[in-house]
Order: sequence, then structure tokens, then C-alpha cells
Amino acid sequence: MSTATTPTLDKEPAGGAQGPAPDPDRRSADTAQDGLAARLAANPKWLVIGFAALVVLVSAVVTGDGAWPGGWTADIRTPLEDLDNWLVDNRDSHWLFLYFLLHISNAAESGVDAIVSLFDSLGWVGVTVIGTLIAWAAGGADRSRRAVRTGVTALAVFAVCGILEMWAPTMETLALMVVAVIIAALLGLLLGLASGLSDRFEKLLRPVFDTMQVMPAFAYLLPLLLIFGVGIPSALIATVIYAAPPMARLTSLGLRGADPVALEAARSLGASPWQRLYTAKLPLARKQMMLGLNQTIMMCLSMVVLASLIGGGGLGDEIYQALGKLDIGTALTAGVAVVLVAVLLDRTTSAAGERLDASQTATEPAGMAKVRAAVWGGIVVLLAVFAAVGSAVWESEWPESWTVSWGQPVNDAVNWFTDHLGSGIPVVGGTVTWAEGFTEFILNPLRSGLLATPWWALLLLVAVVGWFVGTWRAALAGCVGLALIGAMGLWDRSMDTLSQVLGALVLTVIVGLIIGIVSARVERAERMLRPVLDTMQTMPQFVYLIPVIALVGLGRTAGIIAAVIYAAPAVIRITTQALRGVDPAAMEASKSLGATGKQQLFQVQLPLARKALLVGVNQGVVLVLSMVVIAGLIGGGALGYDVVQGLSKGNLAQGLPSGIAIVCLGIMLDRISQPAVRSRKGS
Amino acid sequence: MSESAEHTPVISVRNLWKVFGPKAENVPENSALKGLSAAEVRESTGCTAAVRDVSFDVNKGEVFVVMGLSGSGKSTLVRCLTRLIEPTAGTLEFDGDDVRGMDTESLRTLRRHRASMVFQNFGLLPHRTVLDNVAYGLEIQGVGKAERRERAGEMVDKVGLEGLGHRRPAQLSGGQQQRVGLARALAVDPEVLLFDEPFSALDPLIRRDMQEEVVRLHNEEGRTMVFITHDLSEALRLGDRIALMRDGEIVQLGSPEEIVANPADDYVRDFVRDVPREQVISVRRAMRPADAGEAEDGVALTPDTLVSDAIEAVARSGKPARVMKDGKLLGVIDHDRLLSVVARLGEDDATGAAADEGKVAAV
Amino acid sequence: MNSKRIRNTAIAGVGVLGALALTAGCGAAETQSSGTDKVVLAEPSWVGASANAAVVSKLMADEMDVKVDVQQMDEPVAFDALDSGKADAILEDWHGVPKKQKKYVEDKKTVVSGGDLGVVGHIGWFVPKYYADKHPDVTDYKNLNKYYKDFKTSESGELGHFMGAAPSYSQHDKGLIKNFGLKFKHIPSGTEAAQLKEMQRLYKAKKPFLAYWWEPQWMNNDIEMVEVKLPKYTPGCEVPEEKAKCGYETNQLEKFLNKDFSKNGGPAAEFLKNFKWSTEDQNEVAQMIAGDKMKPEKAAEKWIKENKSTWEKWIPEDA
Repeated sequence: MSTATTPTLDKEPAGGAQGPAPDPDRRSADTAQDGLAARLAANPKWLVIGFAALVVLVSAVVTGDGAWPGGWTADIRTPLEDLDNWLVDNRDSHWLFLYFLLHISNAAESGVDAIVSLFDSLGWVGVTVIGTLIAWAAGGADRSRRAVRTGVTALAVFAVCGILEMWAPTMETLALMVVAVIIAALLGLLLGLASGLSDRFEKLLRPVFDTMQVMPAFAYLLPLLLIFGVGIPSALIATVIYAAPPMARLTSLGLRGADPVALEAARSLGASPWQRLYTAKLPLARKQMMLGLNQTIMMCLSMVVLASLIGGGGLGDEIYQALGKLDIGTALTAGVAVVLVAVLLDRTTSAAGERLDASQTATEPAGMAKVRAAVWGGIVVLLAVFAAVGSAVWESEWPESWTVSWGQPVNDAVNWFTDHLGSGIPVVGGTVTWAEGFTEFILNPLRSGLLATPWWALLLLVAVVGWFVGTWRAALAGCVGLALIGAMGLWDRSMDTLSQVLGALVLTVIVGLIIGIVSARVERAERMLRPVLDTMQTMPQFVYLIPVIALVGLGRTAGIIAAVIYAAPAVIRITTQALRGVDPAAMEASKSLGATGKQQLFQVQLPLARKALLVGVNQGVVLVLSMVVIAGLIGGGALGYDVVQGLSKGNLAQGLPSGIAIVCLGIMLDRISQPAVRSRKGS
Repeated sequence: MSESAEHTPVISVRNLWKVFGPKAENVPENSALKGLSAAEVRESTGCTAAVRDVSFDVNKGEVFVVMGLSGSGKSTLVRCLTRLIEPTAGTLEFDGDDVRGMDTESLRTLRRHRASMVFQNFGLLPHRTVLDNVAYGLEIQGVGKAERRERAGEMVDKVGLEGLGHRRPAQLSGGQQQRVGLARALAVDPEVLLFDEPFSALDPLIRRDMQEEVVRLHNEEGRTMVFITHDLSEALRLGDRIALMRDGEIVQLGSPEEIVANPADDYVRDFVRDVPREQVISVRRAMRPADAGEAEDGVALTPDTLVSDAIEAVARSGKPARVMKDGKLLGVIDHDRLLSVVARLGEDDATGAAADEGKVAAV
Repeated sequence: MNSKRIRNTAIAGVGVLGALALTAGCGAAETQSSGTDKVVLAEPSWVGASANAAVVSKLMADEMDVKVDVQQMDEPVAFDALDSGKADAILEDWHGVPKKQKKYVEDKKTVVSGGDLGVVGHIGWFVPKYYADKHPDVTDYKNLNKYYKDFKTSESGELGHFMGAAPSYSQHDKGLIKNFGLKFKHIPSGTEAAQLKEMQRLYKAKKPFLAYWWEPQWMNNDIEMVEVKLPKYTPGCEVPEEKAKCGYETNQLEKFLNKDFSKNGGPAAEFLKNFKWSTEDQNEVAQMIAGDKMKPEKAAEKWIKENKSTWEKWIPEDA
């Protein structure tokens, strides 16, 4: 049958004009059906997936109860409670704390304190001047456009943070950042060296990094809280753990990817391993390492903000407190300060990276290296001078008379906006109505569906999908993750969370694809979107949690909306890049055949970009999951709420299993949405 | 061959093997695999024999060319010489020193001082200036900054890059980059220069220039060179002797003329088919015994004269030319003989001439 | 080949060890002890607590030259911090963590009471006044089932929606709903902010809702709520939650101090023990902070200017 209809499909456009017009709807429906059946028959993969899906449906309808068998759960609460008690009892007597953990804690505390008091004694003038100089020096310390632009950016960021009345929290955040970045970068460098030079370490560390990538930051705040208590050390360590992997990953990648010919040349000249590392491998990996540093810095920043939940202080704290008063204006102001700090750090590090690049393709005036050394020396001297006399000459904080308060107008604007959108326009209804519909007709059925599906059917589906999208390893990892959830007795709550994640994921992918396609095709749309996306990706998530409540009410939908807002930028970006990255020759060829824009999109761009788009979906999964936890703060319930509760009550037995369950869900979703290429890479 | 008996060769390779794969060390000893092709060996053992039982000597001051198509094992072979790739079996001597028995330290000394290599893709360090790239080998040896800069400067001038010492590699053309690679190898003043297809990434015209550069350097310094190439004309132009490799084995080893005039098998014959023979083969190989009366007349040519030059001489005089050495008449070359070289008619004759080879070589 | 691998592993191993060595010194570390020139206050995440902290910080800085570091932490975490000495005092404890309180105050004796705050805290179930006016009998929990349909939302499905508290707050509503057989579903708020915003929204739309709510609370100046009566509280009636059948204790909010600080804290500790004000005082400052969006320091400054007689007696004589 398929062979008979396929030609017709091809001829359709031509044939439609001549013969008696057949009912077009019926016809295309027919062919579509045939096409599907044919494809299924031709591709056993789809057949098996379809079969697994069928099993899920049928078993859900028949049994109607998916509960994990009670006998197969392990009691983990009791040992965790014991551990909790042990920690509390031994925190100030056990050797592990006295000789090890407390050192870390005290060092962290005094490190941050030192930087804070340094900023204090520098005063606002000192900080601004030195910050600007450092940015300028990183950009090349000359009159080139890059150096000047970087310096001016820094100056503007400091000024705006001051003017917005965010000077003090910005300094706190910066101080924590300085220490966190240094430690995270060093740790990342060492781990990166280890895994870049030794295959054994690479094998050991890779799964750890992989897991950490899908692990929501929230998940490990709790254990840290119990060990180090609330405050700077916990925040710092959480930040370091969160932010070190990119540096390690990219260092290792850089070391492994260094031009093999250059390395062989070094070897052929008789270089010892140490010489090879020092004179060839590290310099060759420099670009990647710079990129790693940049990513590490950005991740440090996002975590420093989040860590205000466990006593990190600074801008994150400012946001958190403002939200407690429903003061969106102040929260947003602090959020803008965070974005500005991100801009400052990003521009400065990428300018430094660009300079390294450029130094390989351009000849510099001979004396430039000396000038640069002199500039850095000058900065150090200036730092010392300012630190000594700064506090005597000017205030430590930005002068109050130079500030502008725009919190109230922003509040009014946000309120007006949310009120009008929320209650709605006649006929189309408001966001609140839509959100209710979404909960009722999508989320609730999805959740009850998942809850009604027997656990074994779900495992089967995960295994089959994982196997086909990735490898048997992916399938295994997914199943083990799910089984672990069941064994911890968190099956039902996890299914609730899973339903939210899936809902958010579908929305994210739809939104991401549509906007991504538009911005890939319309140059101007992309130009306009780029700064918006940048801001959305760096704006601390919980700034927009509260306005979302005003728009859609407290509940799961609010969390999902927040997750979509959070995850969509990355998906949009990847989609745009994927479509733009399609081989121009293929595009040209299809154009020369007279394809319309739509034909080009559906027949050339989307199919060719499929791999990259899958990466986008995968990225979406990871981001959505991390946000669903934060959505626990605004009525998302389920696992996210448990973690939040465990965290705020300092209750290990409640928070940790839920945190682990989230990680398991993350690993499961990540593995089954990860195209096989990525998991096979590594040789 | 009698020459080589008098001096120890710089590099002496005997029964060298390099096998990749599981249990590679068993392959060389397995005599059952002897006659099999590379594919058959892979079939039966799962191993790839990149270099199979190779033996040769490199004499002092000569340019020894290893030629073969890609995958023939020539690049592996040259890397085995300084153990950049560890050989699986065989012996390997450098000036009489057993290279395979060297410990890390002496191996490093070998690489630092006695043999340095020029690579196909240059292998320059992009973050260093030209000068510092050239000085890199000296830096590794621990030579002080001022001294190595000075020596590197000389080398930069020597390879024709005057005034470019402060550029970065990315700012240079391919040919210039390879000059840097050459200068880097020369800077450590090695006994032997190893070239691994150094010019195959370059444009034809630039390649020509670089080949002339190598010839010039060789003429000036007389340094021993091992030169890997897949380009027959390059091999013929540069090589004193050529080893032709296929599937890891040396198919034929000889002077360019021997290889062109007297291919060992069909594979080699195929290989050299398009070579302009008159530019490789000398009259010694093309001449015939003199008939009576020819001994006194005609232009006198040395036995090394290329056929192409002989054609010119014969055409100008309109008579057969005499091949003379030390006032002795070796033979005569006429239109027919010359034409048969050019038109490849004389393959059989050439084979016949090969019978005389021993005699000729001994002269 | 093999030796190379071993060497690389060794190099890498040394690197990792180096990383560890960086983080660990030798010898035992001291737990932090706090001097009296700087006091660390634990401030729970509600506005009343901000008001306490703002007034105390301002007074101590201006009148006694003591620097105050306010750190935001909720009660459970605050007790750990008091125990370890990371925080010196919490000014407003709602007795929300009885287990920890017992452990540190009675067993370990590392935390001591600092006396009452003077503010009376009350938790209960509340509905908006406009709804109670329409259905006066809703104010008894026994009648809630009569009206549960009014409280249905998409989140609660067939049941009425009960807006639960933020996770760190003392609560046993889930148990109550079950034990009273109420046709309501307990849906927790993730944070106080989220709950406030939701109530603000529903109040503006004049929708019915039933919520965990409390006094003092600055938003009570903006919205009018009516309490739903629950059975009277008797000590211990709410534990364990599965068996809870009573409302909430009316709380004399209490201050807690780290024991060392309490003993050796000098005038600063003395001041904190003396600090006591009324619900009205606190609400006044809280409203300035949350309602008028004033900066806490500014609000405290204003209140201090107008209420000298109240705070004068908190300052110890030897300060």
C-alpha cells in the first residue's frame, strides 16, 4: 500500500491542477496515515516505542493504580534522622569538624571578611577606580576600542549600582564572588589538569561532572547547611561546588584537544612531560580555559544569589527580603544590579580572552608587554594606597545624595500590568483564567495519568526511549533513577513533579522553537531578542516568581510559567543557532530549486538541524527541572516543596531524599533526551 | 654498497615492526603471517601491521627518501626512528647506539641533540612569536634566553624569514610557517633531520621553492636527512636513495634511476609510469655497445648524463654520441636508444641492462 | 605506554591532593566566638522580625556604639546558629521548633531564653471579612464543609482549597483537616511572600479563600480577615500532627540568646534582654517598612524619634 501511494504523494502538486479535484483534506489525511504506517513498518524503532506507549496506556487504564510496591521501599528516614542528630551533637567536638571542616569554614569566613573590609577601606571611589582600571587592563591596557570599552563598561556598572542604592549589597556579593571565583577556578583547574592528563581520572570525574550538570543547585544546599551551618561558609562552598565543573571540564577539554602536531613536535624536540605541559599543553589550552573561567564566573554569580537562602547575604538577600515585603521594585532593582555585575564580569573576562586570541594574529608594539606589566603593578600600588587612605578621604559607601529610587514606580507599573493582564480582557479572558484551564485540562490529567500508570510500565517506556535516543547505558541509568525514587518511597510525589516538568518542558519547547525559528529567519528579531535573552538568563530566578503569582495565582502553573521563562532563552538560542548553522550549500541548493521559505524551513533547515535541536531539548530538560524546584517556593508543591521545607527547617530526613529524587528524575530525563552522540563521545 | 661497508651508517634499521592492536607483540614472530597482505593480517589477528619487517641503512650525508601512498606506513616508520612511536620488534641503531634499549633520559638526549623533525602540519605553537618558536628546541635543552634568541635569529635569517621574527605563526603563509618549522629543527644543530611529508600541505609553487631550499641546505651543510613523501617527483628530485613502501613493507630500495628504470614489480612500475624517464635515466643505462667505427666519432658524454641532455646533444650533432669515462669508451647512444627510453620501449632492454647493473654499479 | 599512564595518574593524583591540602590546614580550628563590639542577630523572614532588628540595630549603633550584623535565617536554622555561636540572638521566636528548642535550651544548655518580646503572636485559620459577612456561620470550623464548594480551585480539584503556610512556619493544618474530616485540600505556600501575594490578589478580586494566617502581620492594615474558630489549644495537643485536634497557642513571642553571649555579652546582651515592645509598636514599624516601602533604618529612625520613653529604659545604665 505504501508503495502505491508514495508516488501520488510526490505528484500531488502537479496532479491537483489537472484532474478532477479530489477532496484535498481526505487525501492528505490518507497519505499521512499511510506514511505513518509505512514509516512504522519500515522502522522497528518507532514500532517498539509505540508498543511501549501502548503498554503504558493500556496498563494505566486497566490497573488504574501505579503505586510503587510498598514492600520494595527502604526506610531511609531513620538513618538520616540519626545522621542529623549525630551532626548536631558532634558539630563542635568531633575531630572531623575540629581538624578539617572548621578550618574550611573559618578560612572561608575570614577570606570573605578580608575582601569585605578591603572594599570598605577602599571606599566607593577606590573600588570604582580600581575596578575600572582592572577591566581596562584586562582589555589590553591601551587605547584600543576593546580596552576602552571594557573600562567604560566597568565604570558604568559601578556607577549604576551606586545610583540604584545597591552599593552595599553589590559589594557584599562582589566580595563573595572574588573568593568563590578564585577557589572555584583553582579547584576546577586542578581537577581539569587531573582529568586532562590522566585517562583514569577522566573516567572517574566525567560521570561526576555529568551528574552535577543536571543536579539542581538546591539539592546540595541542605547537606552543606547541616555541616557548616547557615552563613558565608555554606554559601561559599555551595558556590564553589556548583561553579568549579565548567572550569574543570573545559580545562580538560583544552588539554585533550591541544593541537596534536604541536605536542608531537614538542616531544620530538625532547621535551620532558613537565616541559610539555608547561610550554605547550597549557598555552594551547589557554583559550578553552579562558572560556571555562568565564562560565565558572557566571555560574558563581547565579549561585551566590541563590545562596542567600543559606546566609550568603548580598544582592540575593536584598531580593529575598524585598520579596517578603512584596516589594517587586526593590527586588527588580537588586536583580538589575546582579545583571550588571554579570555584564561587568562577562565583558572583562571575555575581553581578556579576546586579547589572548588577538595576540596570536596581530603584532604588538614591542614595548606593550612591559607597559601592561607596569599597569598591573600600578593597580597593585594604587590598591595599597587606597586601602590605606581611602576610608579617611571618602565614604566607604556610595554617597546617598547621588541615588535615585525607582522602586515605587516599578512597583506601580508591575501591579498595573499584572492586574490588567490577570483579571483579563473580555472574551479572551485573563491569564488567571488560562492558568486555571491549564491546570485543570493539562496538568491534572497528566498527573493522574502518571499516577495511574503502573511503575513497571513506566520503567519499560523509559528503557525503550532511552535505548533508542541514546544507548543502553542511558536506558539503564534512567531505569535505575526511577527505581531509586520508588525505593525511597517518593514515587507519588515524584510523579507529581514529573507531570509538572513535562508540562513545563512541552511549553518551553513550543515557545523556544517558535521564537527560535522567528529569530533565525528575521535578522531584526534576533538583534532585538539578544539583550532580552541575556538579561533573562542572568536575572535571578526568584525575582519574577512573585509577579507570576499575580498573573496566574499561587499553584503549580505559576511554577511552570517561571520554569518556562527561565528555560526558554537557552532553547531559543540553541534553536536559532542550529537553524542558522545549517550548511549554506544545502540552503542555496534548495533555493535554486525554487523552494519557498516554508519549504526551506521544513524540508531543509529543521531536518538538518535535528541533532542540534535535540541538544536544545536536552538543555531545556535540565533547566526546567532546576526551576521546578524553585517553583516549590510558589506553590509548586511535590518534591520542590519538600526540599524547600527541609532546607528551611534544616531537616535532613525530609529534604535529602527529595533532593536525591530530583537528581534521579534529572538523570533519567537527561539521559533519555540526550542524543547518542554526546554519550558516546569520550574516546 | 661497498661504500656503506666502510662507514657505519648514521641510522641502521633491521627487521623493524610496528603493529597496532591487541597482542601486537605476537605478530612479528608469527611466521604463518609472513606472506599475507595487510588486510589478511588484520582479518586473522585483529592487528594492523603499519611497519612490517623493514630494514635499511641511512648513510652519512645522504638524503634518504621513504616514499609511499598514504597508509603505507611511512609516517609511522619515521616516528619509530626516535621512538615517538614505540616499535614492536626489530633493532634500531643510531650511530651504533641501540635506540630501543635507551632509557628515557638518553632517548630525550637523542631527540634534543641528534635528530629533529619537521612536520607536515608544522606543529608550531600559536602563542609564541616566530623567534620563540625557532628557539623552542633550545629552550627545552635549557639554553639561556639571550643565547637561544641569538641562535634562533640566525636560523630565521638562514631560512629566508629575515625581519619576520616577531610575527606570530597565524600571520604567516603556509610556506613561511614551514620555514619556521625547518628553522626550529635546524636550530638545535641535529645530526639528522627527519622530514615527515613537510611540503604536502603547501601549494605546488611554494612546494617547489621549499624543495629547492632543502636542496640548498643539503648542499651547504651536507646534513643527513630522512625525507618522507608521497610525491614521486619530490622523491626523485631530492633523494639520493629512495625506499618505496607499500602496506608497511619496503618494496624497492634504490637510487631514483634504478627505481624508474628498473621497477621491482608491477606496483612500482605503475607508480613510476608517468615519470618523464629521460629526466631520471642516465645514458649509462640507455647506451649500447659501440659498433666498429663508432669509437672515434661523435660527441663525448659522461655516463651520468641524463637522457634528456643526451637527446639535445645527439639532435644537435645528428650523430650517435659516445659515452666516455676516464677516456674509456663505455658505449654509444643513438636515436633509437634515446627514443626507446622516452617511449618506454626499452623496458625489456632495461631489464637486460639491469643484468649489467652489478658491473655498472661497481664502476 | 603503561609507565606513562601511571606517571600521568601520579601527576594528576598529586594535583588533587594539592587541592585538598589547599583547603585543609593542620591543627584544630577554633569555633567562632563573638566579641561584644559586634552582635549577630538572626532575623526570620517576616516583616515583624525586620522591624525588631531594625530598631535594635539602630539603637545599639547610635546609643551604645555596638555594631549589629543582621543575618536572615528562619527559626530552625537560627537555633543551630545560636547553638554554634554563629548568631548571638533571635528576637522573635514563635516556638515553631519545639524539638530544637528542647535540645539546645534544656539538654545542651547552649541557648538561653532572653525573656518575652512583648508582642503577642496568634496563628489561626482566617477568611476574608467580605466572605464572613455573607456567611457568618463560616467562622466555626464545624461549618466549613457546608461551604467547601466556594473554595474550590483548579489546584484543589473536587475539594476546597486551604492555603497552607510557608514551610518553615509552625503548623499542623494538614492533620487538622484530616482529623476533622474537612473536605479541603491543604496546599502549601512555598514562601510567605507567595502567600501574601496570592491573598492580595484574591482579596482584590473579592474571591473567597481560607488561609493559615497570623498576627502581628503588616498586611492586616490593608486587608481585613476574620478568624475561623478552632478547638482551644492545650499544651501538647498538636503533637504528633497526625493526631492534632486543636488550634494554635497564643504566643508570648520570646527572645533567645547564645549562652556565652548572654553571660559575657556585657551591655549589649543586657540591652537585648531589656528589649520589649508591644504588638502596636511593632506593627507601626512593620507597616512603614512593608506598606510604605520605607528602608528599615529609616522606619526605625522615625519610630525611635517618636518613642523615646519606650526605648530609654532598654539602655543599660553602664553603657
